[in-house]
Amino acid sequence: MFENLLPPLNNHNLPYPDTIHPIVVHFVIAMVLFAVVCDAIGYFTKNARLHEVSWWNMVFATISIFIAIIFGQVEAGLATPYAAAVGDLNLHTLIGWSLSAILAVITGWRYIIRLKSPESLPVAYLGVNAALTVLVLFQVYLGDKLVWVYGLHTEAVVEAAREGLLR
Amino acid sequence: MTSMVNGLLLEVTSGSPGNGLPYVIPIHPNLVHLTLGLFIVAIAFDIVAALYPLEKPIFKFLAIPVSSAGLYDVGWFNMVAAAVVTFFTVAAGFYEILLAQPPQDMISPWGLNATDTMVWHGIGGVLLLGLIVGMTVWRGFQRYLWREDRARQVEWSYLFSGLLIFGLMFAQGTLGAHLGGDFGVHVTADRLLRAGIDPNQRMSSKPVFKSVSESATAPLISGSNEIEPKEE
Repeated sequence: MFENLLPPLNNHNLPYPDTIHPIVVHFVIAMVLFAVVCDAIGYFTKNARLHEVSWWNMVFATISIFIAIIFGQVEAGLATPYAAAVGDLNLHTLIGWSLSAILAVITGWRYIIRLKSPESLPVAYLGVNAALTVLVLFQVYLGDKLVWVYGLHTEAVVEAAREGLLR
Repeated sequence: MTSMVNGLLLEVTSGSPGNGLPYVIPIHPNLVHLTLGLFIVAIAFDIVAALYPLEKPIFKFLAIPVSSAGLYDVGWFNMVAAAVVTFFTVAAGFYEILLAQPPQDMISPWGLNATDTMVWHGIGGVLLLGLIVGMTVWRGFQRYLWREDRARQVEWSYLFSGLLIFGLMFAQGTLGAHLGGDFGVHVTADRLLRAGIDPNQRMSSKPVFKSVSESATAPLISGSNEIEPKEE
């Protein structure tokens, strides 16, 4: 019922020029990874300033991931993934939604830590940071496969799918 | 053109990744996440810090204790990290430009061919590296010398310059999107399609998470089976 409200799909199968999800995820990937680095350096050098930098980066990442998911769902829905790509697209979707909850919980915990003891971090939080890094890097790897290996939303793949050559 | 297609056939059937690189995933687009994320957030937090008096009630309503010094710390440390990372972003970009075999028979939405798009993206990369490093140095002087005792740690002209650089980054990013999304530079599936191979055939054994619907492996072009490696 909303088809007529959107511009026609272009040669990337999108109603706007280029994919937006890979841009929004800048602010999840970079902010989470930099927060983890700042926490590690801040922990060992006992620099509370870096913990403050880390906290704000986590806040920014947590807001951004929900925007990333909205565009991610739109673009996944328009991706017309072919057989080889379906599995990784599903897993990327599953981990993406999970990451939004995980990030929100971690940032919530961080909010409490910051209120109660802004000068120090519990070791358990650093452990969670390490696990979060692994999960984010794996999610980036999956997203990379969707774009750079499977070529979803690239002109050649969209054209082949429209001609019925690739499904 | 024919020799390029033959080269692709040779490459994609010889066990290499098939994207023209000695590794499966291009590195440059990943470092780009870091460059852009860190730079944009650095400027954003300096803007938030400079306008802090206006936002006080919002943070109070959210029950988040805020010090403008903490916000400026984000502006500074994120900018330093952006400057460091961007050397690697540009280095990886030039390496992957050197290995690119872009199609010569296409024009981008901006009316440029693939080679011109790569040249402009390369020039833009070096220009942005210089600007990011310059902004970092400027930011450092403001933080530690010129404005050390001021409530507002950054000049308005610094924030305005940051916004202008956002515009350059948008243009640079669009050129990069043309290289990947339109010309298919280092995109495995695009290169396979151009060589007449169905990506399903090459990739069906590789996804991390196998799909139940994975049965459509008909050859894109009849006869292309002969040049396919045997799949176990």
